Amino acid sequence: MQQSPFIRGLMEIVGEEYVICHPEDLLVYEYDGSVDRSMPRAVALPDDADQVSRILALAYRSGVPVAGRGSGTGLSGGALAAPGGIQISFTRMNRVLEVDTENRTATIEPGVINLDLDTHVRRFGMRYAPDPSSQKACSLGGNIAENAGGPHCLAYGSTTNHVLGMEVCLEDGTQVYLGGPAREAPGYDLRGVFVGSEGTFGIATKITVRLLPLPETVKTFMGVFPDIDSACSGVSAVIGHGIVPAALEMIDALSIRAVQNVTDAGYPHDAGAVLLIELEGLWEEVDEVSREVESALWETGASDVRVAEKDSERERLWLGRKTAFGAFGTIAPNYYLVDGVVPRTRLSQVLRKVSEVSEKYGIIIANVFHAGDGNLHPCMLFDEREPGVKQRAMAGAAELMEYCVEMGGSLSGEHGIGLEKKQFMPLLYSEEDLDRMKLVRDAFAPANRLNPGKIFPDGEEYVPALQRTPTQVDTGWYV
Amino acid sequence: MGDEPLTPDLVRQIAALLGPESVASEEGFSVDGVIPQTVARPADRQGIGELLRWASANGVTVFPLGGGVLTSLGNLPSRVTVALDLSSLNRVMDYQPADLTVTTEAGITLDSLRRELSQGDKYVPLEAPLPHRATVGGILATGFSGPLRFSYGPPRDWIIGISVVGTDGVETKAGGRVVKNVTGYDLGKLYTGSLGTLGVIVEASFKLAPVPDSWAGVTAGFPSIGAAVTASRALVSQVYAPLGLQTVTPGVAGRLGLDIPVGAKAVVLGFVAGRPRAVARRLEDSARLLGELGASLVDTWDESAALALLTRLTDLPWNDADPPELVMKVTLAPGSVAGLLGVLAGNEDGGGDWELVADPGFGAVQLLRWESVSGNGVDASGIMADIDKVRRAAASLRGFAVVEACPPCVKAGIDVWEGAAAAGELEIMRRIKRNFDPAGILNPGRFIGGL
Repeated sequence: MQQSPFIRGLMEIVGEEYVICHPEDLLVYEYDGSVDRSMPRAVALPDDADQVSRILALAYRSGVPVAGRGSGTGLSGGALAAPGGIQISFTRMNRVLEVDTENRTATIEPGVINLDLDTHVRRFGMRYAPDPSSQKACSLGGNIAENAGGPHCLAYGSTTNHVLGMEVCLEDGTQVYLGGPAREAPGYDLRGVFVGSEGTFGIATKITVRLLPLPETVKTFMGVFPDIDSACSGVSAVIGHGIVPAALEMIDALSIRAVQNVTDAGYPHDAGAVLLIELEGLWEEVDEVSREVESALWETGASDVRVAEKDSERERLWLGRKTAFGAFGTIAPNYYLVDGVVPRTRLSQVLRKVSEVSEKYGIIIANVFHAGDGNLHPCMLFDEREPGVKQRAMAGAAELMEYCVEMGGSLSGEHGIGLEKKQFMPLLYSEEDLDRMKLVRDAFAPANRLNPGKIFPDGEEYVPALQRTPTQVDTGWYV
Repeated sequence: MGDEPLTPDLVRQIAALLGPESVASEEGFSVDGVIPQTVARPADRQGIGELLRWASANGVTVFPLGGGVLTSLGNLPSRVTVALDLSSLNRVMDYQPADLTVTTEAGITLDSLRRELSQGDKYVPLEAPLPHRATVGGILATGFSGPLRFSYGPPRDWIIGISVVGTDGVETKAGGRVVKNVTGYDLGKLYTGSLGTLGVIVEASFKLAPVPDSWAGVTAGFPSIGAAVTASRALVSQVYAPLGLQTVTPGVAGRLGLDIPVGAKAVVLGFVAGRPRAVARRLEDSARLLGELGASLVDTWDESAALALLTRLTDLPWNDADPPELVMKVTLAPGSVAGLLGVLAGNEDGGGDWELVADPGFGAVQLLRWESVSGNGVDASGIMADIDKVRRAAASLRGFAVVEACPPCVKAGIDVWEGAAAAGELEIMRRIKRNFDPAGILNPGRFIGGL
């Protein structure tokens, strides 16, 4: 089969078998976890940083935009290729290169799966703290691009608080190292601004992260509440007491039903909402704070408070939380997830708005989210085969995002802006705010070849493959 | 940059721009020992914007000033045309104790902010020397971290939102007032530690912690620095590790007013905070472990004594009464601290005579020297040689060494940031600086790579 010179160039770099360019093979690369689609022209699967650098240099010379792709679990379109662009997939670059027990760091390739790293380092008495719900599947390279969070970010911070240094390829293939072996480094904090730049600054090829020691004591509570409102009061009571648990999650009635459809997490089927609260630390701390948490939950109207002290009990509670999004498949085939953040004291107000929106647009909305840091995840459930329903879901989501901003909050807590939220950026930021951000992008990637058209509302449009005109399709596909 | 002709009517122009009350005479102000030609004190952010726009258009260099505590950081300014005094921006804008967040103007002192936060029983884990003078903006611009950085981390870990007036005079923001946020690029991190070279920080939001119920401290004497660092490394990997742990040399211990046990060559200082029972356990277990690992004398400190000691330690390199002549800071992997000290001590002809404040939990070492000025004046070439030794020792361990304070005659001959960033990183930093400050008016030449 004849290929275009560009595709042949990719094949020369990574080998023919590691370039995907047949339309039927590319279908799986058209998606990530969000609602947007975009068919890449090709996907290259490099094996090392040198190949990544050469791919970028070739694409740069050829004027082809590039998107990095980890596991494709992202929820904002971050891994989707720009029109006419390619993806670099990191599934082969998945080695844990070093675990440094003395300095409590790990150096890994970007394709390493979040949970695999955590599991790997636990044998040394350490852990990798950021734990997105997709941690079984999501890659650390993707986590860095999106500044991924997770339940335990309440106490330990998001990905950005755990990255020490990165080897990075810039848009033209130049390799630079950002950060260093320590938590502080002189000069502009390029590492800090790179994390969360959604693949628009460069592509990390080697990452050194901080590991934390395992705590002495872990105790997990399930507070059972008759309704969302009282569960929100429970959250406020805990935080307002000055208690910052390791994790504080809320699961509403609909989500409880969905979870219990697929696994028995032990959530009571008749509860209006449950709170999962995890405390970690010295035995003395956990013991003292436990009692305060318990009384805060009872005082705010909990109908039951259960404690998991054994690992197996705790794992069961968390399994339910982490499988919730998959379990929504038992209710509807499609979902659209909102990621707004609000001040924690505004939670009950915002959740009331969520049920209003649900009624107004006729969309089922489930809530399972990081209550402790005010990071909502209203999940709009629908069947896209039903005419107009996706549009209604999107309209409802837009109304919710606007409301979050109105409440003093923000558009996204951990999923990123990407394609699907970029048109909402003006709700939060002025044109001047956004222009200032672009100055940084222009320093890392002056030609804007990496993930163009994302984050900023004025970026180019992404068009699903089916709607594309033939001129946008690489001729190499058909010959 | 820095050489622009001074118009004789500079003061008049600024007065016309901001009002006569906004131009101060220069007494009491200095930027790294250099007296500014004029001091502008805009009443509000709009005034800052007007000043910066005017300065950009006319190529006038501007040096933002907080409390003036850490102005020794950076290369020597050749001339300070306008010092920008931000002390009028001193209001707490939005304090939400129940949300554990605060938004404050940048000119507020850390002491004032702490006082306001204590009204709601909350606490911002920022540290600064001379907190009655040090401002939030200054702490952010310098990225200052103190003796508790092992647990609290640097300020970048607490900032959640920022507002900055750019050189075009426009105030822009990034981040917000919520504790978790990935909406747009994280410019708060970029501005933190940028030494006022990208814009003037006017407001910042932080996440907060509850006020610790109690504090305490532990000190332990060791027969050698090596033994002290080894013991500290063992302690920081325990579940009961203190909040912060420093190893200091006898010269530092003496200045802190500590009793130095006979024969001790190093003292370990640990600080703990939190719930009383946990504090007691941390203190007891830490003291026991330090004793087991060879400490000659272990003392525990109650809350007020521990906090006073912490303040003295944080202030020490920057205190006005007895300031060290020379301050360097090395950041490196925590496990390499012992290696660094070993290399320095091995150099009998100079590298070994530093006073030290080492943070083996975090990976930072402060090197201090008081005695470099003799009756014969400053031995500049000797100091430069010693600085160079530290740099080489740091580089050999993949660390970075920065000269944080030194006599002007030495500073004039060195780049205090030399070797502190690799070429590739520096090129991106240069582009960022050029994009944010095309006329090069903000703190020119003071930062890394001559930015």
